[in-house]
Amino acid sequence: MSKVLSMKNIRKSFADNEVLKDISLEVEKGEVVAIIGPSGSGKSTFLRCATRLETIDSGEIYYGDECMARTDEKSGVIYADKAQMKRINKKFSLVFQNFNLFPHMSVMKNITSSPISVFGVPKAQAEKTAMSLLERMGLEDKAKAYPCELSGGQQQRVSIARALALNPEILFFDEPTSALDPELTGEILKVIRGLAKDKMTMVIVTHEMSFARDVADKIIFMDDGYVVEQGDAKELINNPKSDRLKAFLSRFEN
Amino acid sequence: MNSAQLLLIIKRLAEGMLTTTEIFALTLVLSLPLGFVFCFMRMSKNKALSTVMKVYISIMRGTPLMLQLMVVFFAPSLLFGLTLSWQGWRFTAVIVGFVFNYAAYFAEIFRAGMESISPGQYEAANILGFSKGQTFFKIILPQVIKRVLPPVTNETITLVKDTSLAFVLSVMEMFTEAKQIVATTSSIAPFIVAAVFYFVFNAIVAAVMGKIEKKLSYYN
Ligand SMILES: Nc1ncnc2c1ncn2[C@@H]1O[C@H](COP(=O)(O)OP(=O)(O)O)[C@@H](O)[C@H]1O
Ligand SMILES: [Mg+2]
Repeated sequence: MSKVLSMKNIRKSFADNEVLKDISLEVEKGEVVAIIGPSGSGKSTFLRCATRLETIDSGEIYYGDECMARTDEKSGVIYADKAQMKRINKKFSLVFQNFNLFPHMSVMKNITSSPISVFGVPKAQAEKTAMSLLERMGLEDKAKAYPCELSGGQQQRVSIARALALNPEILFFDEPTSALDPELTGEILKVIRGLAKDKMTMVIVTHEMSFARDVADKIIFMDDGYVVEQGDAKELINNPKSDRLKAFLSRFEN
Repeated sequence: MNSAQLLLIIKRLAEGMLTTTEIFALTLVLSLPLGFVFCFMRMSKNKALSTVMKVYISIMRGTPLMLQLMVVFFAPSLLFGLTLSWQGWRFTAVIVGFVFNYAAYFAEIFRAGMESISPGQYEAANILGFSKGQTFFKIILPQVIKRVLPPVTNETITLVKDTSLAFVLSVMEMFTEAKQIVATTSSIAPFIVAAVFYFVFNAIVAAVMGKIEKKLSYYN
């Protein structure tokens, strides 16, 4: 099995607030990892470190065999240079809680702007890819629409299509359904289930426990900047070992 | 007053209108980009730079434009002992004064516009691999332009009226002409004609800006 992502001993503080306390994660090709945990435990910060929206204080991050960041005894954290970063950038994408679509661009442009203007994909080809992604998302009739004309669930599906446009090796989701009305979460979870079936490698921060149990191969439970427990998804949800995970899961029972 | 006299007034004011339009157009064309430069300096992480800009902007906004025009005009001779006998200096001083004053106002408008863009837009651009420059020109700027359009329209309408301040440096724009004709003919008609000119000018400005706003209303 080949590792798509390998993060080791990640530490991250904001001022004197240590948010990630020595966290490691390895993701194999085709694997789906769910990250659960109470709010404020550092889940988003972890994804943001993985996607370079935040810089780490120490540790190492590898995408395949490309090093995005490593820590040197003397000079501290060293990040990949621009050319390397551009290559690495293509390997991952992130789906945000609140979509972050570009409001002034049509759905089609939202999906094709990065392939065309960052990675030099020919326009016709980028649009063809975008159309097939929109079909996959059940939005083939929305290519010309603007984000403000779509429901939240449709916007999130567009943002997933946008994230898939460069055919990333791994896709991160940060609470992809949390900004949606409850009746709209189902359509997003269905899309993610479909991606899992197609063996898309994914790391998903979620509060949907039964979804995590059914879709993920592995679950990581974070609390207060630590990984408290991790393991097989069904096993971890059905037989939690630590008191903190038991307490956390009991909040979702009803 | 007969119609021949009225025609003469209109003819002279129309000539002044040319200069008025020049001041207006030059100021707008130069102060909008300069406003963006000032906005970036104001928003700079460099504390000294942003403080200098903050003070500069508050002086520009806190003192009369008329006084600023005088300072620009007299500064070379009073501060540096230069004698500027050059013909075009009056007009140049007016343009310099207007551009630096309006750029300060525009900088604050742009800053508010920039700050209203959610950080998520930058983050999405970052994830998609856009460079800093691409992010600004493709993602941020188009949204900022839409948001700042209403306040920029207000400033532009103010600018049309402010061009009349050029009279303090005796630049022969429309208002200066009107004053002179009134002084020689002791008729109020030139002022009324001038008012009509300004009013029509602003109606055109408002219509043009309205068109642009409408063009950008395809999203919100
Ligand atoms: N940009 C930031 N600056 C300062 N503190 C931050 C920042 N981002 C997150 N934090 C803090 O880090 C902690 C973890 O936040 P986060 O990663 O968002 O948790 P989660 O996603 O698990 O809810 C919180 O205490 C939060 O206040
Ligand atoms: Mg979070």
